Amino acid sequence: MRNTNAEAVRQIRQPDARTFRARMSATAKHLARDKQLFVLFIPCLIFYAMFRYGPLYGLIIAFKDYNVFTGILDSPWVGFKHFERFFASPDFFVLFRNTLLLGLLTMICAFPFPILLAVMLNEVRLSWFKRTIQTASYLPTFLSVVIISSMIIDFLSPNNGLINRVIQAFGFQAKYFLIDPDWFRPIYVMSEIWSTTGYEAIIYLAAISGISPTLYEAAKVDGASRMRMIRHITLPGLLPTMLIILILKTGSVIRVGYEKVLLLYNSMTYEVADVFSTYVYRKGLLESNYSFGAAVGMFEAVVAMTLLLAANYASKRLGGNGIW
Amino acid sequence: MVGQRKWSPFGILNGLVLIAVAVATLYPILYITAVSLSDTASVTQGKVFLWPKGFNLSAYAQVLTDNKIPRAYLNTIYYTSLGTFLNLLFTAIAAYPLSQPQFFGRKWWMLAIVVTMFLQPGIIPNFLIVQKLGLLDTVWALVLPNAIWTFELIILKSFYESMSKAIREAALIDGASEYRILFNIVIPLAKPALASIGLFYFVGHWNSFFIPMIYLNDQTMHPLQVVLRGMLIFSEGNTASLVDAAALAPQALKNATIVLSMIPVLMIYPFAQKYFAKGVTLGSEKG
Repeated sequence: MRNTNAEAVRQIRQPDARTFRARMSATAKHLARDKQLFVLFIPCLIFYAMFRYGPLYGLIIAFKDYNVFTGILDSPWVGFKHFERFFASPDFFVLFRNTLLLGLLTMICAFPFPILLAVMLNEVRLSWFKRTIQTASYLPTFLSVVIISSMIIDFLSPNNGLINRVIQAFGFQAKYFLIDPDWFRPIYVMSEIWSTTGYEAIIYLAAISGISPTLYEAAKVDGASRMRMIRHITLPGLLPTMLIILILKTGSVIRVGYEKVLLLYNSMTYEVADVFSTYVYRKGLLESNYSFGAAVGMFEAVVAMTLLLAANYASKRLGGNGIW
Repeated sequence: MVGQRKWSPFGILNGLVLIAVAVATLYPILYITAVSLSDTASVTQGKVFLWPKGFNLSAYAQVLTDNKIPRAYLNTIYYTSLGTFLNLLFTAIAAYPLSQPQFFGRKWWMLAIVVTMFLQPGIIPNFLIVQKLGLLDTVWALVLPNAIWTFELIILKSFYESMSKAIREAALIDGASEYRILFNIVIPLAKPALASIGLFYFVGHWNSFFIPMIYLNDQTMHPLQVVLRGMLIFSEGNTASLVDAAALAPQALKNATIVLSMIPVLMIYPFAQKYFAKGVTLGSEKG
């Protein structure tokens, strides 16, 4: 908008016949300057063309019978064969349910914790205490999935895992958590809460610091308690941030942390743990069914996109901000 | 909130809960450190809770003389330093033209770039591109396909945009080329932002396991996280080759490796707080 306005202003200022030539030479000058900028832009252009748009083009193998030797272009077209095979297979329903359940459970259960932590941190008056707690709280962000999964396995180990030692101390039988399908989802969700709360609290804390202090001062003059201020100032002030985070998360519901699933699941828990990405990895990559894997991946991407658009639309209808 | 009492019941309760949160966050890390420093008997009998029992460093000695782990450690250092350097270089250069309002087609370029955050074709097409380019089993497979993270690019672009235009104008009048302006003025001034996104890149490379796992078949090239994953998943098969007949609790060995792999990250992270928080919040504003 601003650019077109500026252009209009320029045209009004120079209404004479020289305008065209003047603008031509201005463009030429711009292009000369732009040339240098464009040279700087080339690596970026190549990167996005090759590694971001290249794979999108490669997706056409989902409609072909891809063969390493004939290549992407020359492999024969097979239409929706791979999609039909996937939708008809018994795996489809299981994967769909697992992915959606795991993603939604994580999103919903983990949602309140960073908000709670941020609000509580905001109430702390001792700045060194606040800083220390906050620093400790986001440490898990820096740990790899492998390390976190390893900790989970250690803690839940039936032989000498800490949890089982506590269970046994109370006189119960040790439990094999990681091969019990009923326990997979709770374990996954709890570990996600552990590893993401501190990181997301940073975002909410920043949003809190954007709330006008005059609101709090006015409330104090009116004799509001701290609880009331949290309820009527801090939480409403965080609402836009909550909405944005929810929308962004909806888009990733389908893309649950498959790396962690991959590390934690086993043949005993496939029925609840297997998600689209792990399935693509096993069936597509390990068993070299590239076309089939690409079809499943494409379906996953389309569902993710749809969810994101739906969430964005819903948020806008509810009067909030969308992400675009 | 001026004039509030420091030690209200509310404040004390709040503080206690927060301490509990911090303990819950830190405890698993302290625990695995304690296990890694304990002797076999104490670990297998489940005596370790917080402090090492039967303190010894044999697990660390095992790790250091192991035939896989030291090499994997060096691999990780190599991939992380090369990767982070290239990430920063690519991002710092790419963000510059995009931050210039007069850059030809800027709006369309930005749109084309942002769209890729939402259009992710999945594992297989990415794998095929890397395979086609002949990058499998080379360090470039880890580095090039993720040379620019779109999110960090946007962060840096908005940082460039927020920088003073006056310096650039002055340099232009002095006849400096765009290259000189970028490398001699803009990048040095953008150090705080570069440190912030560099931190994300660093941690991303250091911790990545899925990408090296699918792109590197050659075991001698595996980074630490992939080796760790091997110890995790194939505990039985793997420990036989690592330890002579259960002389050592495999847990201690595994945890010693974990502790060693965490050290660099844990060392930089308290100092990185300032940059880290800035990166997260900048990202969330622009996301």
